[in-house]
Amino acid sequence: MRYQPVIGLEIHAELLTDSKVFCTCQNEFGGSENTRVCPRCSGMPGTLPLLNQNAVKLAARAGIATDCTVNKYSAFDRKNYFYPDLPKAYQITQFESPICTNGHITVVGGKDIRINRIHIEEDAGKLVHDDYEGVSLADYNRCGVPLIEIVTEPDFRTIEEVQDFMEQIALRLKYAGVCDARMEQGSLRVDVNISIMPVGSDVFGTRAEIKNLNSVKAIGRAIAYEIERQSEILDNGGTVVQETRRFNDNHGNTKALRSKEEAHDYRYFPEPDIPPVLFTDEELEEIVNSMPEMPQKRFARYTKAYGLPSDDASLIISNKDFSDFYDETVKINPDYKQVSNLMLGELLRNLNDSGAAVTDLKFAPSDLAKLVEMSSGSTVSKNAAKDILKIMFDNGGKPEEIAKENGFIMDNDASGLEAVIDKVIVDNADSVESYKSGNAKVFGFIMGQAMRLAGKGANPKLIKDLLTEKLK
Amino acid sequence: MDLVTMREKLDKKEISAVELTQSYLDKIKEKDKELNSYITVCEDAAIEQAKAAQEMIDSGNAGAFTGLPISVKDNICTNGVKTTCASKMLADFVPIYDATVMEKLNKEKIVMLGKTNMDEFAMGGSSQTSYFGGVKNPYDTSRVTGGSSGGAAASVAAGLCAAALGSDTGGSVRQPASFCGVTGLKPTYGAVSRWGLIAFASSLDQIGVLANSAADTGYMLNGIYGRDFNDATSSAKSKGDYTRLAGTDISKLKIGIPKEFFDGVTDEVKTAVLKAADYYKALGCELVECSLPSLEYAVSAYYLISSAEAASNLSRFDGIKYGYRSGLGEDFNDLIKASRREGFGDEVKRRIMLGNYALCSGYYDAYYKNATRIRTQIRKEYADIFEKCNVILTPTAPTTAYKIGEQEHDPVKMYLADICTVTVNIAGLPAISTTCGYGENGMPIGMSLTGRAFDEQTIIAVCDRFERDFDRKEARI
Repeated sequence: MRYQPVIGLEIHAELLTDSKVFCTCQNEFGGSENTRVCPRCSGMPGTLPLLNQNAVKLAARAGIATDCTVNKYSAFDRKNYFYPDLPKAYQITQFESPICTNGHITVVGGKDIRINRIHIEEDAGKLVHDDYEGVSLADYNRCGVPLIEIVTEPDFRTIEEVQDFMEQIALRLKYAGVCDARMEQGSLRVDVNISIMPVGSDVFGTRAEIKNLNSVKAIGRAIAYEIERQSEILDNGGTVVQETRRFNDNHGNTKALRSKEEAHDYRYFPEPDIPPVLFTDEELEEIVNSMPEMPQKRFARYTKAYGLPSDDASLIISNKDFSDFYDETVKINPDYKQVSNLMLGELLRNLNDSGAAVTDLKFAPSDLAKLVEMSSGSTVSKNAAKDILKIMFDNGGKPEEIAKENGFIMDNDASGLEAVIDKVIVDNADSVESYKSGNAKVFGFIMGQAMRLAGKGANPKLIKDLLTEKLK
Repeated sequence: MDLVTMREKLDKKEISAVELTQSYLDKIKEKDKELNSYITVCEDAAIEQAKAAQEMIDSGNAGAFTGLPISVKDNICTNGVKTTCASKMLADFVPIYDATVMEKLNKEKIVMLGKTNMDEFAMGGSSQTSYFGGVKNPYDTSRVTGGSSGGAAASVAAGLCAAALGSDTGGSVRQPASFCGVTGLKPTYGAVSRWGLIAFASSLDQIGVLANSAADTGYMLNGIYGRDFNDATSSAKSKGDYTRLAGTDISKLKIGIPKEFFDGVTDEVKTAVLKAADYYKALGCELVECSLPSLEYAVSAYYLISSAEAASNLSRFDGIKYGYRSGLGEDFNDLIKASRREGFGDEVKRRIMLGNYALCSGYYDAYYKNATRIRTQIRKEYADIFEKCNVILTPTAPTTAYKIGEQEHDPVKMYLADICTVTVNIAGLPAISTTCGYGENGMPIGMSLTGRAFDEQTIIAVCDRFERDFDRKEARI
C-alpha cells in the first residue's frame, strides 16, 4: 500500500543570552565540567529562580520572527521527573500559558506550516558515563541554559517541507538574534513526530518520536527510514506502537528508547517562585520595532525589487552579516547585480578560503561600493577589480589608492596603444597570418599578447577594438 | 527582658554582648537537655559573634540588632552552620550561603545562638516528627510545643534566646506560639524574602518571628522585611518602622469576629478569645460579626496545595546531589528510591504521596485545580471582610497544647487542628498570635489577629495593646 507521512516538529533552540535563564552563571558552550554552576542552577536547598528578562525578550523575538502572537500574559510551570542530570528534579517550563502562540512559516510549494506554540524552559545538565570505571558523572554546566521550544502542528507531508522549514527557522532565529542555530553543537535540536496513513485517508496513524537529530540531512534520513519502517509494519498487518526512538547517524536507522507505557506523568503545576510574565502594548511594540528585516522579506526584496536571481538571493541571505554588508553596499551604490556578483564571486571565495567572518572584514561597505563603481565606470578592469578586492581583503585599504599604487587604473587613451598593437602584429606574424586565413580562435592569443605588452592599466575594450580594426 | 531594654543595656554598657550571649548559652546548657529546642547550639561561633558585636558597640557603630542573641529555625540556611530541616535527609547539610534574613541581621552583627528544632521539613503541628527527637513544652514537658516552629517557640518561652526566627506555611509560627505562651508574627506573603528558607510550600511559606511580645516581633520585623532581588515573590510594599506603635489609635478600629472560626474550638478557647474581644470593645473598638463561609474547605485546599508544592520542592532530595544517600541501589532509579525511603520520615512521605496524587494527570482538576479555586474564593471572602473591618480576631488553635503521643497516630485529626491558621497563608495575609488566657490544664490559650496585606503595623499595635494589660505567666521550666 502507498502511505502518506504526517510529521510534526518540536524544536529546541538555545537562547543567545549572556547568562543562564534563572541565575547569573555564564551561558556558554563547552568548558570544563561544573565550572559554570551556582547554588541557584544546581538547585541548592533554599534557593529560588531569578528570571532572566533578556531570555523573555529573545523568546518574544522568536515569536515575532515566526509570525506568532506574543501573549501579554504567560506563566511558568514545573515539570516533575527524577533524573540525575536534573538537580531540582523538576524542570521550569511553560505549560499552560506559553509566551507565544499561533505562528506559521510558508515552506516549499507555498504551504503554510502552523506553529502551535513557543515556550521558554531551562535545559538540564549532562551525564557522562564512564564504562571503564563503571560510574556515571554529572556535569551541571548546561543546567539552566535558556531554551525555547517551538512546537509545530502535524502539517508536514514531505521531507522537503521539513527540511525547508528547518532551514528557514534556523535562519530566522539567527536574524532575530535569538539563537546561533548550530545544530551540530546542539544549540538547535529537533525531535520529529512522525506517523503514516494510507494515501487518501485523513485519520492519522500512531506516531513515533525521533530524537537526536543534529543536521538537516539527518532529519531527512531519519524520516525516510521511519516511513520505510512503519510502512513495513503496516504492510505486514502489524501496528505501530507509540514510542520514542533514537536516530543513529552511523547506521542511518532509529532504535526504540521507551514506549508510551514507560512515559512519565510529569505532574505539571504552576511554578510558585516566579511571577507571571506580563507585557504592555508599548513593550511589545518596542520589541517589534527592534526586529531586523526577516530573511523571507529580504529574499523578496532581492528578487523582486533588485532583480537578483533567486539562487543568488538565497545565497546572500543565508548569512545575515553577509547580507547586511550587501545591503549597506547597495545603499551607497545601487548596482545590485554587480555588487552581488563581486560579493558572491571574489569576496565569498576569499571568505571561504580564509575561514574569516564577515564581521572581520578589513574594509567597509563604502569601499566595496566604490570598487564596483570604479569597475563599471571603466576606471579599472573587471580582472583588476578582483585583484584589488583581494588586496582589500588581505590588508584593507581604499580601492582608489590600491588601484593607483598597483597601476590598475585603466589607460583610456588610445593614442599610446597603436604602437603597442603594431609591435604585436609584427612580433606574431604567424598568428596574424593564421587569423587572417580564417582561424578566429587565434584572436584570443594575439589579444593576450597585446594586453601583456600594454600593462596592468590597459583598457581591454580599447585594445580589442583597435586590434580588430588593424586585423581587418 | 524586651529587646528595646536589651538594646539600651548593651549600648549603655550595663551588660556586654559576650556576657549576654554567655548567659543564654549557660541557660541552654542547663535547660535544653530536657526541652530539645535546639538541634545545633553554636557555642563558640556565638561567642565570636558577640565579641565582634561588642567591638561594633564600643566603636559607636551599633545598630538595632548588634549583639542580640537569637535562635534560628533549622530550615533557614546559615552559611557554614548545619541546616537540617530536622530530617535525616539533611542531617549533615551545611549551606554555602546565608538566607537573606540572616544576611541582613548579620550585617549588624546579631548573635546566633543556634538552630532550633522543628517538625521534619516544617510538616506538622507538634514538633514531634523531628529526626532529632521531639520538642517539649516549657510550660509542661509532658506536652507538645505545637509546630512546626516548636523549637523556636520553646526557646523563646524558656528564655533560651531573646527572640527567634521561624517559618509559617499553615500556622507554623502562630500555633506553637499559642501552645508555648509567646507571641508569633507571620508577615504578609512577600514581606520577607524567602531566599535561603528551605522550601516546603513556596506559595504559602513565609519567615516569621517568635518573641516575648508583640513589640519584640515588630522590632525583629524591622530587620528582616523588604524586597529582595533574590526572591521574585518578595515585595517592596512593606515600609515603615514596626516598633512605632504608640501612634496607632486602637479605639477607632473595627474588629471582625468571623463566626465559623469559633465552631470547632473548645469552650475554654472560645471563652478566652471572646473575653479578649470584650477587652477591645471596652477600649472603644467596634466588634463586627462577619463570616468566612469557605472555611470548611480551607484545610482540604491547604493540604492539597501545600502537599503538591512540597512533593515538587522535596524532589531534589534524591541522594544524587544533596543530603542522605543510601548504600543500596544498582542503578540511579534504585538509588533515588532507597535514599528517599530511608531519608524521609513518615509524615514527609505522607505529604509527598498526597501531593503527587493531587498532581497526577486525571486527578489534577479534581484536586489541585479545585484547591486553587477555593484559594481564590477565600481571598475574596477576606477582601469582603476587610471592607468592613481593620483586623480580624480568631482563636489560634482549637485547643491548648496536648500530651505528647496523644494525637500523632491520627494524621487527619492533626490536619484539622490547623483550621484556624491555614486561611491566612492561603490568602497571604499577616497575622499575629498572643496568649489571651489559660486552660484548665494551665496551658496558654492563643488568639490571632489577622490584618490587611502589608498592614503588620496595625495587628502588632492591636496585639501590643492587649499584652500591656494581660498578665502573662512565666513558663515553669
